[in-house]
Amino acid sequence: MHLLSRKRKETFVKILCFLVTAAVIIPLLWIIGDVIYNGLAAWNISFLVSPVIQGGIGNAILGTFIINGMACLFGIPLGVLTGMYLSEYGQEGWFASMVRTTVESLSGIPSLILGLFAYATIIIALSQSATDRHYTAIASALALGLMMIPLVGKATEESMRVISNDIREAAIALGVPKWIRTTRIVLAIAKGGVLTGSLLAFARISGETAPLLFTALFSNFWPTGINQPMASLQVLIYNYALSGYPNLVTQAWGAALFLALIVVAINIIVRVYTKPKYKEGF
Amino acid sequence: MQTKLDVQDLNAWFYQKQALKNVNVKIPEKMVTAVIGPSGCGKSTFIRCINRMHELVPGAKVSGKVLLDGADIYGTMDPMDVRRKVGMVFQKPNPFPNMSVADNVVAGLKLLGTYKKQELSELSDANLKSVGLWEEVKDDLKKSGASLSGGQQQRLCIARALAMNPEVILMDEPSSALDPASTAKIEELVKKLKNETTVIIITHNVQQAARISDMTAFFYLGELIEFDQTANIFESPKNQLTERYITGRFG
Repeated sequence: MHLLSRKRKETFVKILCFLVTAAVIIPLLWIIGDVIYNGLAAWNISFLVSPVIQGGIGNAILGTFIINGMACLFGIPLGVLTGMYLSEYGQEGWFASMVRTTVESLSGIPSLILGLFAYATIIIALSQSATDRHYTAIASALALGLMMIPLVGKATEESMRVISNDIREAAIALGVPKWIRTTRIVLAIAKGGVLTGSLLAFARISGETAPLLFTALFSNFWPTGINQPMASLQVLIYNYALSGYPNLVTQAWGAALFLALIVVAINIIVRVYTKPKYKEGF
Repeated sequence: MQTKLDVQDLNAWFYQKQALKNVNVKIPEKMVTAVIGPSGCGKSTFIRCINRMHELVPGAKVSGKVLLDGADIYGTMDPMDVRRKVGMVFQKPNPFPNMSVADNVVAGLKLLGTYKKQELSELSDANLKSVGLWEEVKDDLKKSGASLSGGQQQRLCIARALAMNPEVILMDEPSSALDPASTAKIEELVKKLKNETTVIIITHNVQQAARISDMTAFFYLGELIEFDQTANIFESPKNQLTERYITGRFG
């Protein structure tokens, strides 16, 4: 009797867990299914390779990669240096704790605010007058790069910090100066974690729309330079989805599918890359 | 007997705690000096003062002189230069996991200098041979240093220290994490090393000290209690404490 009731409880908890998991997974699968179903309806070769002016999203795809790429050029080095500082140099002291607090706060700032910051600093500074604003993709990259710094910084700090002190001591005992130890030993060993963090940060900023809305704005044409308005998948989806025209809404689904694929692809790369090489078994 | 290291009035602290008290000792050149004593007696602090690694710990302080061939390593010498002249092998093997076996051997030279590829590869091979690892790893030179067995890793670390052509090699219980067969290989190697360099080795195992060392220093509570030829220490120790320690009555 006692045993039976314990078994019954066991079964009950199992079923409960299953139902809760299903409740979480079903909406996710629904969203993915919806995006694939509606998105594929819009897809064909010319949709993906022609610019908005010709009814495609090619320039928005390219724009997203250019803006993200510029954000990486700025966000990854600063993030890595910040993480390196926090892990190897700034263990104590007021400056280190200030950097730490700043990084934490930066990761909590809504992306809209970062977009406004980029607008206020770059767009307004470059503009002739309030009626003639100079919109540029560089400002978007600044806002997105700022978002990347705490993500890359944290990943770098954590993957460097877990490296055993024995390794640092080995390098110290060889008379290797600290900056060489830090870059060519500790950072070199941590590079997998840094790369993973950077890829995930790239995926994270790929979905950000707010910082682009009033910085890169949009363009119907192929980009001809970086210091100009530029189309992006995010802003295209935002504009088209709200347009009310059925054909544009379909195109927004198509763009959403592409954006989702970028994020999924990055996550798969990270998964494969970080998979342990040797299976542990006893 | 030429003196390699002349330690004068060496004191060391961690914050308020004094870990070494007035140590005076002359370490002879091209011999193996064993450092023995119970846990917490200052053995590790002592050897870490000889390559200026003690001062890296928060709260650490050192006073006194350590003369290496007559020059005070706490004088105008750059600590990095001191560490290139005084190599160290640690308790736990610590090869660089991001480097191959061959690169691990010449890691110090590679990270510090402008050596040609050919030079580095020759130095790597030569030092692997001198630690008796060459036959075991010659087909795996490109593999990660961390892929070797514990005993092989430790010999790799010794090769890495030797590649710097150091005047002195410090060893902090280099075989305490290894199996008996690997320990025997390390002991053979230490005995061979004194032809080329001066070895100071900490060991918890008094029999090991008796087997491999020429000189033995016994530390207790931060003080150097006795320093003499190993045979004298083990056959006729002058101090009661030394006798009690080596006969296993405490420690």
